Amino acid sequence: MRREVPIAITFFTGVLLVVAFFIPHEPFGSLEQRFNDWYIIVSGFAMILGLDSLLLHHWNKVSRRSQDWFHSLSLILAFFITLFWGFYSGIHTGNFLSAQSTFRKYFYLYVFVPLQATMFSLLAFFIASAAYRAFRADRFEATLLLFSAGIVMLGRVPMGNQVAPWIIGFVLLLFAFLLYSDGRKEVDSLRRALKFGGAILSLLLIYPLAWFFLKYTAATAGWIMNIPQLAAKRGIFIGIALGGIAMSLRIILGIEKTYLR
Amino acid sequence: MAQVFWTWVAAFLTLAIFSFLYKDNPFYKFAEHIYVGSSAAFWLVYLWYFDIKPKLIDAWRMNTGLEKYILIIPAILSVFILLRFIRPIAWISRWAIAFTVGMAAGLGITANLQGFLVPQIQATFLPVWVPSHNFWHSLGLSVNNWILVIGTVVTIFYFYFSKEHKGTLGALSRAGIVFIMIAFGASFGYTVMARISLLIGRVYFLIHNWLHIV
Amino acid sequence: MRKYFEKLAQIDRRIIYLILFLTVLLPYLFKISLPMKPLPEVVQAYKEIDQLPPGSVVMISIDYDAASMPEVQPMLYAILRHCFSKNLKVVMLGHWPLGIPLGVTALNEVAKEYHKKYGVDYVFLGFRPGLAAVIINMGKEIRSVFAEDYWGTPLDSLPMMRNVHTYDDIAVIVGLEAGSVGDAWVQYAQARYNAKIILGGTAVVAPDWYPYLQSHQIVGLIGGLRGAADYENLVHHKALAYYGMTPQAAVHILIVIFIILGNLGYIALRRRK
Repeated sequence: MRREVPIAITFFTGVLLVVAFFIPHEPFGSLEQRFNDWYIIVSGFAMILGLDSLLLHHWNKVSRRSQDWFHSLSLILAFFITLFWGFYSGIHTGNFLSAQSTFRKYFYLYVFVPLQATMFSLLAFFIASAAYRAFRADRFEATLLLFSAGIVMLGRVPMGNQVAPWIIGFVLLLFAFLLYSDGRKEVDSLRRALKFGGAILSLLLIYPLAWFFLKYTAATAGWIMNIPQLAAKRGIFIGIALGGIAMSLRIILGIEKTYLR
Repeated sequence: MAQVFWTWVAAFLTLAIFSFLYKDNPFYKFAEHIYVGSSAAFWLVYLWYFDIKPKLIDAWRMNTGLEKYILIIPAILSVFILLRFIRPIAWISRWAIAFTVGMAAGLGITANLQGFLVPQIQATFLPVWVPSHNFWHSLGLSVNNWILVIGTVVTIFYFYFSKEHKGTLGALSRAGIVFIMIAFGASFGYTVMARISLLIGRVYFLIHNWLHIV
Repeated sequence: MRKYFEKLAQIDRRIIYLILFLTVLLPYLFKISLPMKPLPEVVQAYKEIDQLPPGSVVMISIDYDAASMPEVQPMLYAILRHCFSKNLKVVMLGHWPLGIPLGVTALNEVAKEYHKKYGVDYVFLGFRPGLAAVIINMGKEIRSVFAEDYWGTPLDSLPMMRNVHTYDDIAVIVGLEAGSVGDAWVQYAQARYNAKIILGGTAVVAPDWYPYLQSHQIVGLIGGLRGAADYENLVHHKALAYYGMTPQAAVHILIVIFIILGNLGYIALRRRK
């Protein structure tokens, strides 16, 4: 009962939907529609799973007066205030999000929105810090990634075309300097010549590359998005889609049962 | 007046969360817990207003005959889901969850097949030569087509793990990594763009709505 | 010189945060704005809506919430202004419950601006759980999912909805996204019912849609703040997104400089070892 019935339900539901897709005539067509309707109702209830453990966890913290219990209390209070305010506004104005609803006018726009929006805007700071500390062009792949990121970042904003040549020029100059100072320490004459040659090449590349990016940074960003980026994404997603189909089949056939845990 | 008061509340909460950047502190913790608590309550309010009320209660009132009584089935399944909260009979909720999993699996197969694989593979069959008003323009478009097709194929090879990546397969997957890195770089650039935009939104709120500087 | 680089590598993260904050703030204070040419994928979306005959129905889906509001909300405003100025009718719904109030706020505001009447020129349906099931069933009959609108009025009592039953009656669907709902719109509404779809969304999800654009599964793509700014530009109503692009540009340049400086410090330290 505890395992067989759920597996049978999954099998029946999954097969029905696949059959209805290939044979959209009666009775499958309307059965699919009805199942979808039930799914709309039932999946709403699935949204609130986990609520009990969240509240219980924080209630335990409050009752045991453990560290930060005050914050747990404010979480529980916030939960109930939101709940009652939402329903109060709903009963009062007919709909909890109506124009007159104080829940929407004040609570949603001035408490919830700033909290959620600011919480996610912190990521801007973390990504800036990561750019400084973590993104190292130490291998070919990493260099390629950073190069593509740089072009896209500059190419998708105004002024990108004007700024990119300076950055490219600076990087090439730096590269030339590094090669030159490395070459000076080199004992082997061939390797020294190669490094000096590389330094000269870097210097020579400054003008043509700066010219290219002055004209085409934005266009290059567009090209990256529309050609190589698209190709790789398509390849990756084809793989994911195949994996998704395999996973769905495993679930329908009862091979994959982790959801029963 | 109310507007001014609530704007200050919003500004306080915004700054409370930003204070985390200096270091973790009680103001941040307070704001964070309020956020988690109230967003959890939101789901319950939504469940009532957008699910139970229109789809079960109103539907029960408006329909007659079979259409009315058949609503008992999803109602029972929904109650089953809630039984998860009651430990001894929590296992019954698996029946309802099995239904949602079966639905998701069935819908997933058709979406991936019809909605993704077929049209995407179809769109990869591109002309080897694109005729146009001048040769160089044609060449440009054609080369783009080649890059697109080759890029897609080598990326797929990179994710083919059933054979060791040596010889031809190794070369193909190394070509794949070039495309993947360009794509990840582009996605990274776009992610930076997104995160910065969020910060711009908050800064604008502070200097426009709160402080009225701009 | 080397010591200087080592110091650079160990700079406190809070200084980086401060520099970032100032880089966003200063362009606003000095009111600098920079010209841009709209991206072709945004122009495509704009044209798709622009060529619709008056009275056509555009469906807009709110699939984001406050966490991505600065990027996507300006798109919504710009598209609503475009629709109402062309006398198109708007049906709005959403799949991200926490963002629904953002949608209804913008809809009411812009409708008022253009003196539009509820039920005649625009309708708000609200939200139903079950994403894929909602999209599929609406393709058969919108009333099977939304028997009544958001305010509890049966759809047949709303003049503009009387002849709107399936996606065949909707000229174009605009999905405003912060997650994977856009894929569901494409994979169900477009694939099964041949609905026309424009996707607009955060810059995090937008790159993933380029394959759909090339395969013509979507007819326009509006990505991130840049996309929103382009759309504002196209409808000649420059607002939050357009003016946000200056700090955006400044920060992008800053981040590229950060990456280069970070690598400089790294190289300096590694060479000493």
